[in-house]
Amino acid sequence: MTTEPPSPGISISKTAEPSTLDVSVGPQHPGSGHCRILIRVDGDYIVSADPDIGYVHRGCEKIAEYRNYVSNIPHLERPNIADAIHLNWGYVLPIEELQGVVVPPRGKYISTIAAEMNRIMSHLYGLAIMQGVFSGHTTIFMWAFGDRDLFIELAEMLTGARLTYSFLVPGGPRRDLPFGFEDRLSRLLDYFEKRLVEYDRIFFSNPSVIARAKGIGVLKREDAKKLGVVGPVLRASGVKYDVRKVEPYGAYADLEFDIPTFEEGDSYSRYLIRFEEMKQSVRIIRQALEKIPKGPIARKAPLVAPEGEATGRVESSRGEITYLVMGDNSDKPSRVKIMNGSFRNLIALPFLVRNVHVADMPIIYGSLDYWPVEADR
Amino acid sequence: MSQVSLSREEAIIGQLKARFPEAIEETKIDRARRVTIHFEKDHVQEIAMFMRDELGFDHVKGVAGVDLPTQKKIEVLYFAGSYSNAEVQDFIVILKAQLPRDNPIIASVVSVWESAHFHERETFEMFGVKFEGHPDLRKLLTLDNWEGPPPMLKDIKFPEMGQR
Amino acid sequence: MYEGIKHIFKHTFTMKYPYQKVLLPKGFRGRHLLYMDKCTGCGICAWICPERCISMVPVTDNKEYPQNPEKRFPQYWYARCCFCHFCTEYCPTGALDYTPDYELAEYDRELLLWSPERLSRPPTNIGEYQSVFHGKDGNQGVTFEPVIKQKSK
Repeated sequence: MTTEPPSPGISISKTAEPSTLDVSVGPQHPGSGHCRILIRVDGDYIVSADPDIGYVHRGCEKIAEYRNYVSNIPHLERPNIADAIHLNWGYVLPIEELQGVVVPPRGKYISTIAAEMNRIMSHLYGLAIMQGVFSGHTTIFMWAFGDRDLFIELAEMLTGARLTYSFLVPGGPRRDLPFGFEDRLSRLLDYFEKRLVEYDRIFFSNPSVIARAKGIGVLKREDAKKLGVVGPVLRASGVKYDVRKVEPYGAYADLEFDIPTFEEGDSYSRYLIRFEEMKQSVRIIRQALEKIPKGPIARKAPLVAPEGEATGRVESSRGEITYLVMGDNSDKPSRVKIMNGSFRNLIALPFLVRNVHVADMPIIYGSLDYWPVEADR
Repeated sequence: MSQVSLSREEAIIGQLKARFPEAIEETKIDRARRVTIHFEKDHVQEIAMFMRDELGFDHVKGVAGVDLPTQKKIEVLYFAGSYSNAEVQDFIVILKAQLPRDNPIIASVVSVWESAHFHERETFEMFGVKFEGHPDLRKLLTLDNWEGPPPMLKDIKFPEMGQR
Repeated sequence: MYEGIKHIFKHTFTMKYPYQKVLLPKGFRGRHLLYMDKCTGCGICAWICPERCISMVPVTDNKEYPQNPEKRFPQYWYARCCFCHFCTEYCPTGALDYTPDYELAEYDRELLLWSPERLSRPPTNIGEYQSVFHGKDGNQGVTFEPVIKQKSK
């Protein structure tokens, strides 16, 4: 039983070699999102990278102690607004466990349908911005955003808002499926499957994309497990781990779907895995629309939570989000701790961008699908 | 309603208690697949190494701090999970250590669980807990020139947020 | 490359905004509509609001409100509202409703503080709409019975 030295690249040395230059890929940059990455460059090769995050830190966990359980829902879904249902659901699961509220089956199916729609929307966003714009491919940016808007209109029909849903409260979803929703969603899924074939032809089989992304930023399986990465980054490195299969929540126990994995662990497989996950999401939604039972959708939940703590987790589009909620017999939580996918994947960035060209850094950074607001909370 | 068997959870607790009889203070099974273990803070690296090598918990999902002003303690929680061991893949084992509130110091587990690197940095700046042996302990999320007290402590109140 | 060129000849999706507007679904979460003959002034909307943008103010007019003897009604500060509509759902008497009105921009910030009378006027530039909350189109609504905290004066 031994301790191990830290992996190379993760701890940044304060003293630099004279031949290196510190370049700030700063917050005012089209390729960095709302964070700053301080890279140390020797010629055209990156020696080390230091993620300087915290530009959008708002103290979500501190504010959460000052609002009651239901009022916290819009606050806690804002960190990753493109994937709001999952952040919402992960917060609501431990509260329901503390209070002993069981959601009826129809409510679980509605939450599952909304969550999988949200996963497709978030992967389309990642495809457009992180993988498209950061590598210079603006056609996929336009196409993916256009198709995402069709899903947003359906979500507006279901919840009433385009992006800021606040759809799940402790006890179940807020609204039932409106009249005509199933029909419109099935037609959209038929159209979307045809579009996925077109995406494959223009982006995933595009020789310039393959040349830029294949073999770059390889994360081997043992390193992925040691660094504790989550989500598509983990599955693209060969570890078959998905919370929807490991600890099923919602309606996932009754539905059939696969977990795609790739063995190579390079940036191109991290691109492809989101494409495969979108196909699986379409399959899940179709099954859920057939199997959805009738009945009530929600139960009344009390407004206070007893003393105790509970941990709940969901699989969002960027990885596993674990929530710790501690109650103290009042209507406000005494501690909410959020461990989300972007923050846990951050450790892969300084590990992977060593001895790569400067031009490969946006590719690696985009393939990790790092969302600065979610990591900073 | 049949009772769900908690044999795997009890096996983990049994192995830990057999190996560290004096360091484990209290154990609890919250529900299936959730085990909470309170331990003495001086043995954190040994317990972490045992969990990694013998039980197969190869990463932490997060390191949290909880401020308990009435007991004058700060609690540090480690959420251990496993990717490699298929038997405990669905577990979250929560390891808790209590530190005195005026001088919270604990050894760092980064040399055992590399995944705790950024989490320990965040707990350091938010609660003031010093992790000895961390290779790069500095502020992560707050402003570079933030000189104030650790923000997440309960007696630090920001008046704009309203009453509790 | 062929894929890209194929799309030049397809039609565009852009809507010319002030002349063509999007058709909004029922239950769209725009601004709120207050039914002053149903509001009892309990203050649950103010308690549940995540942004603390609702405050209960006295209304001075000549009408009588038998269900609200103190004549306290909610006042909304739309500069902070996040349009989550928890207030609409948790209101025990159904005094708040959804409207498809989203064009709320003003030149002065003070005009974003909407008094109860202004909230009770239905939007004039939108056609017929129906609310999901009252279940008029057969939609299954959710009923909540929260604990009513009596605010002591």
